[in-house]
Amino acid sequence: MKSNVFHHWRRDCLPPVHNRRTSRVAQLGCTLICILLTAPALTADEPDSLAALGPAYQRDIRPLLEQFCLDCHSTKQQEGDFDLQQFSGLEQVQRDPQAWQKVDQMLASGEMPPEESLQPSAAQRQTLRAWVQSYLAVAARQNAGDPGHVVLRRLDNAEYKYTLRDLTEVDLDPTREFPSAGSSGEGFTNTGDALAMSPALLQKYLLAGKQVAEHAVLLPDGFRFSLRATRRDWTDEILNRLRTFYEQFVESQDLGSGLAVGYINGHVDTRLGEAGRLPLEKYFAATLAERKALADGSRNIAEVARQRGLNARYLAALWSSLSGSTPSEFPGNLPARWRAAGAQDATALAAHVARWQRGLWKFNPIGLQGRQGSASRWMEPVDPVLTEEEFRLAIPEPAEGETTTEIIVSLVATDAGDGNRHDDIVWQRPRLVKKGEDDLLLYDVRGRSAAAPGEPPWGLDRACFGKHPRCGRIDAASLGARAPSVITVRLPANLAAGRELVTTAALHPRAGKRASVQVDVIAGTPAKTCGLLPSEVTVNCSQVTQVFSAQSKLSFARPILIHKNSPFRARLLTTFANHRRLFPAALCYTQLTPVDELHTTTLFYREDDHLARLMLDKQQQAHLDQLWKELRYVSQADLMRLVALQDMLHSMGPNRDQEDSQYDGIEPLLEPLTAGAATFGEHLVDTEAAHLEALIDFAERAYRRPLIGLENDELRGLYHRLRGEELSHDAAFRLTLARIFVATPFLFRLEKAPPVPTAAAVSDWELASRLSYFLWSSQPDEPLRRLAAAGQLRQPGILADQAARMLRDPRVRRLATEFTCQWLDIYDFADNDEKSEQMFPQFADLRADMYEESIRFFADLFANDGSILDLLAADHTFLNEALAKHYGIGGVQGPAWRRVTGVGAQGRGGVLTMASVLAKQSGAARTSPILRGNWIYETLLGEHLPKPPANVPLLPDTVPAGLTARQLIEQHSSVPQCAKCHRRIDPYGFALEQYDTIGRLRKENLDTRTRLADGNTIEGLPGLQQYLLQQRKDDFLRQFCRKLLGYSLGRAVQLSDEPLLQEIEQQLAGQGARFSVAVQTIVQSQQFREIRGRQMASN
Amino acid sequence: MALPWMESLPVWGNASGQPQDQAPTRLAVLFSGNGFHSTEWWAKGAGAQMELGKVLTPLSDYRERMLFIRGLYNEEALKGNIHSSQTGNLLSGAPLASGGRIHSGTSFDQLIAQRYGHSTKVPSLVLGCEKSIPGIHKNYSLLYSSHISWSSPNCPTPLELYPALAFDRLFNDQADRGDQSVLDAVLVEGKRFRQDISLSDRRKLDEYLNSVREVEQRIERAGQSGQLQGWRPTLQEPNVPRPEDGIPQDLSEHMRLMCDILVLAFQTDSTRVCTLKLNNDISYLRFPHLGVDIGHHDLSHRNNDDWLKVNQFFVEQLGYIAGKLDAIQEGERTALDNSLLMHCSSMMTGSHDATQLPVVLLGGGGGQLQGGRVLDYLEQPNRKMCSLYLSLLDKYGIHLSEFGDSTERLAEV
Repeated sequence: MKSNVFHHWRRDCLPPVHNRRTSRVAQLGCTLICILLTAPALTADEPDSLAALGPAYQRDIRPLLEQFCLDCHSTKQQEGDFDLQQFSGLEQVQRDPQAWQKVDQMLASGEMPPEESLQPSAAQRQTLRAWVQSYLAVAARQNAGDPGHVVLRRLDNAEYKYTLRDLTEVDLDPTREFPSAGSSGEGFTNTGDALAMSPALLQKYLLAGKQVAEHAVLLPDGFRFSLRATRRDWTDEILNRLRTFYEQFVESQDLGSGLAVGYINGHVDTRLGEAGRLPLEKYFAATLAERKALADGSRNIAEVARQRGLNARYLAALWSSLSGSTPSEFPGNLPARWRAAGAQDATALAAHVARWQRGLWKFNPIGLQGRQGSASRWMEPVDPVLTEEEFRLAIPEPAEGETTTEIIVSLVATDAGDGNRHDDIVWQRPRLVKKGEDDLLLYDVRGRSAAAPGEPPWGLDRACFGKHPRCGRIDAASLGARAPSVITVRLPANLAAGRELVTTAALHPRAGKRASVQVDVIAGTPAKTCGLLPSEVTVNCSQVTQVFSAQSKLSFARPILIHKNSPFRARLLTTFANHRRLFPAALCYTQLTPVDELHTTTLFYREDDHLARLMLDKQQQAHLDQLWKELRYVSQADLMRLVALQDMLHSMGPNRDQEDSQYDGIEPLLEPLTAGAATFGEHLVDTEAAHLEALIDFAERAYRRPLIGLENDELRGLYHRLRGEELSHDAAFRLTLARIFVATPFLFRLEKAPPVPTAAAVSDWELASRLSYFLWSSQPDEPLRRLAAAGQLRQPGILADQAARMLRDPRVRRLATEFTCQWLDIYDFADNDEKSEQMFPQFADLRADMYEESIRFFADLFANDGSILDLLAADHTFLNEALAKHYGIGGVQGPAWRRVTGVGAQGRGGVLTMASVLAKQSGAARTSPILRGNWIYETLLGEHLPKPPANVPLLPDTVPAGLTARQLIEQHSSVPQCAKCHRRIDPYGFALEQYDTIGRLRKENLDTRTRLADGNTIEGLPGLQQYLLQQRKDDFLRQFCRKLLGYSLGRAVQLSDEPLLQEIEQQLAGQGARFSVAVQTIVQSQQFREIRGRQMASN
Repeated sequence: MALPWMESLPVWGNASGQPQDQAPTRLAVLFSGNGFHSTEWWAKGAGAQMELGKVLTPLSDYRERMLFIRGLYNEEALKGNIHSSQTGNLLSGAPLASGGRIHSGTSFDQLIAQRYGHSTKVPSLVLGCEKSIPGIHKNYSLLYSSHISWSSPNCPTPLELYPALAFDRLFNDQADRGDQSVLDAVLVEGKRFRQDISLSDRRKLDEYLNSVREVEQRIERAGQSGQLQGWRPTLQEPNVPRPEDGIPQDLSEHMRLMCDILVLAFQTDSTRVCTLKLNNDISYLRFPHLGVDIGHHDLSHRNNDDWLKVNQFFVEQLGYIAGKLDAIQEGERTALDNSLLMHCSSMMTGSHDATQLPVVLLGGGGGQLQGGRVLDYLEQPNRKMCSLYLSLLDKYGIHLSEFGDSTERLAEV
């Protein structure tokens, strides 16, 4: 029986009950107060005890009933199925307290006796009511704390959705196609009565379970869920995780076809993939900016790294290499440059390091790793140190329309930074080469082409050839030189363009062991001719198939020619190795996948040893290894590779003659890949057991308690039975998982009724679920599960702590949505389709924002333990730009939500001003003071209107001339049979008339002054708020508590809950009406902590 | 297993007294909320000369197969408040629980479905075109406002709002391998929990276990084909494509699709009982496609031309179904001759008047219903909806001595 009788006798008639109640107040922490209610035994010496009520009934009440009620409500007549004659004495009365709640309600609303019947005098009415209320108060105390009859609850759609989300940690929502919910109890969907089951719904549950199970990703040691349901997507998810992991440390850069570092000229499509580059500039910047602080110890590396988001291990390595007492040697003398650098020179230092990287590393494309002759790594070290090097400088044809007559090239030899002793070299037979034409020796150029008059002659004087300045005769067409030397040559374009200048630079045979020369052939003239310059490596491949072969050839710009046994060579190589150790060109291969997918059996490629060495700690390393392990497992790469290889071999088979080299190149892979696939197959079988174990763990979470009895065996049994039906492991696993989602202990909130005739405490696990479904509409989380497992949750202090923790959790938003929005009748407002599109085209775009404002306001109030009275009037709300504009509130830009204060002065704050509420309680095209008023009367204040007359008069379709909408309603409502109700509700609505159908403030001023049924006169929103806060505060709080209690218990509030409601009210009064006080009092109550025994009568 | 399974499985033809080689008589109940226009719901005269109020003009082609019934009411609907308490028992006449509880009665359509449901792929199809609203109105759950079909007093039959899913329910009976093992396991487990819970919770749990059992049976039946003897439907497989996922934006399209599925279900003999709730009682549907951009409930209190237009739009759905069924030849009769269509509301007009209810029947009822008549019970002593249901149940071979609040039949029906 949903009834609202209590506030009447609570105010007027009820004697104080707390003197009879054992009330223990425990102070927990600094704010939590728990109240344990114990029902008092009924004793004869109470003022309104049964002893006094019995005689009074016979003496005063029975005659009044006979006089005014029994004409209709006799045992014979039973008008409205209501028989008052049966209550011949107190004993009979006590059998049906609900009937007397109805009597009280009828008296309160004035509905009975009906107007046309004989009316009791005021005194008689007062006698009747006083007795009924006294009796109800006694009856309430008699069963105080009764947990009540709670109908077995299935998860409602929202609870199913949230539970699934918390269980799977992904937002899968199959409930959209479930039938929408009804309500019962205090008007909430979480009430057992409203949750019907049918075969059609069961099929939906089964289908949903199977669909969710399709989202399970099997892992080597268990499973998790993904938003997606294909292996391909799961693989991509792990790849994304890997990339995300890498990108904490490096910056991904596409190496293109190799121009950034190294170069492959053979195959334009051959990419080198994405490289994880060291973000060196940031590190240099840190060492430069913090140089002094780090040096004098006022700051440490860890601190600087944390502050700048850098890796501490790497920063430490860099710091010690640059600043150590014996700094390492780097090419180009990096430590000295660093010491000389200012805070702004980080970029230059990084560029310097990068230049050297181009000469010290080469890259190979990732594809057919493992093929005969292929490179084993993606990034390999290179030393640009040789005894001779052939240069081929291509001289381009002039671009169209361009006339070039002169081409200048230089043969450059520098001393490699170690002085020029013994630095003698020979440029062997420099010549211009073109395919299909004879070579033209540089020696012959001057003779072949005469220069224009006045211009210097072409080429070189023949006298320069055939001799070395220090070492005597050499080949007649070669040039000798000692570094440093630059031989610049002018060539006529008509001869040189379209040819290559080819020459080999070699150490002169007589050059000593100490010779070290850096040589280069360039177009134009060199900018710099002394010191060691960064080299640059190029990988040359002539055809596509050779991309993967060892036949590629390296060439160098500015190689260092040096004798094999030169001591300087060893020193040079050491500096190069130092550079490579601290500054790898890439720390990892962030591409992860091959870059030439047409020709690959590789699915994923891992190269991150430099990252591991320089940056990762143990934990990070383990995490990374785990990700790779999962990738390999989830992608089933070892199986896929074999399939890919077999496909390739198969496709080459028919063309073996032409493709011999390719076929033979990859055929050797067959054996290891076959073995790998077989091993992986065994591994898959090995991991099946782990999946089944994980499934059992999962069932415990899904059932919200440990498995009991046969459950464990039955789950395993089902799996094996399905395997017996020739389902694969994968299919059997998924179906067993789906089965958990249609299990009774998952779908239903089963609670064991103890085999006792009284109530008893629920178990810790049951209490955990009661708590989590109350506050989060979902399953207990890990801390709650731990406490339940330890049997500690029932301890009042721990229970209070948990409730407090849960209220601060973001999941309290669900309580805001499910409880508050259902109570206030704005549930699912984001889908509201009730407003005229013609008149309010903007509504469709705004409704989700309107709903969001409400939810955020409530969630904020709950999480921050605000006053419940803030619901009636607050000076803040939550807005984004769109809604702020709708409200006419300035200064809110952008789609982000924010708390906005000072809105009271702009007519906002609290539920009365929310667009969601105002629009919901309007018609499609106009406001409805009746709806709004009725909403305040019934929903906010918990009052009940009598039933409307059988044939309510029709509203005129249009407002007659000369009347306002309000006047029209006033006229309509003045019909006496209507006025009885309308005078109670309409005035509230008139006070809100300044707000239009979709909650905007109207520009014109409307008459919002109105007289309430109780005689108070109010004006507009401020008047209404003031009235509610001052005159009706208790009624509002009572209604709030009643709704919250009904929601928390999953049933309608009953007579025996009355003492608890009073308790909550008293607590609220003393503690600023803070929300947590209501919640804490409820969760500590007998109703919340106990369950009726199996033998207990169902009422 | 000690579960309350369906006790007997009578065969449709035998029990209903129809020969098995004759087409079965189908039942469709259409509901629209908030009543009809106060002066335009009427019929007088007989046969082809019958005159119709404007609300009923969409049915004028079917006057000779139409039975217009005036003056019936539902006693229990007068006892509660307004709207939801007038609707949740429309097809059962049962008392409705208030005060946060939900309790009605098994509706007469579901009684037929339960008796014969095993003869077809699905026992009944319960469709809706407006989402039900959570909440409580005037002390009665709004669940009552959106559910006229009840499988049991505790269990409103869930409505299907999605045309595609309704279609799947009829025609997608591909059970996956292993489903039965899963359902078995759920049943065995559920049975164990029955021991530990209270008697009333056991009823709730049985609702679930019965559903599991029924789905399981359906999977079993799907595996056995070609066992039907005698009469065969004129269509074996759907002859229209599966509707698109989701609910159509346009209301008229939504209703049209649901009507098509109803007809298809009858034509393929996938079910013989169908309830179509066109909207809720207290309905917020708007009708922009009719140029009426006002909520249905709001309109019902105005009783103007727009209201009439919307009434006609609802009745057009009945006419559309009748037309489609009439185009399906089943031997000498059409499917309309072999069907019984009923359209009703839970109040006469928008002003909550439930002292007489609008009822119109259409179709031949397999030769058992004589159309072209107007029956007026307003001044008769026996004028209960439940009396009508007793008469209709007779036509389906279910002969009860009482149903709801009635023990009498309407002799003329």
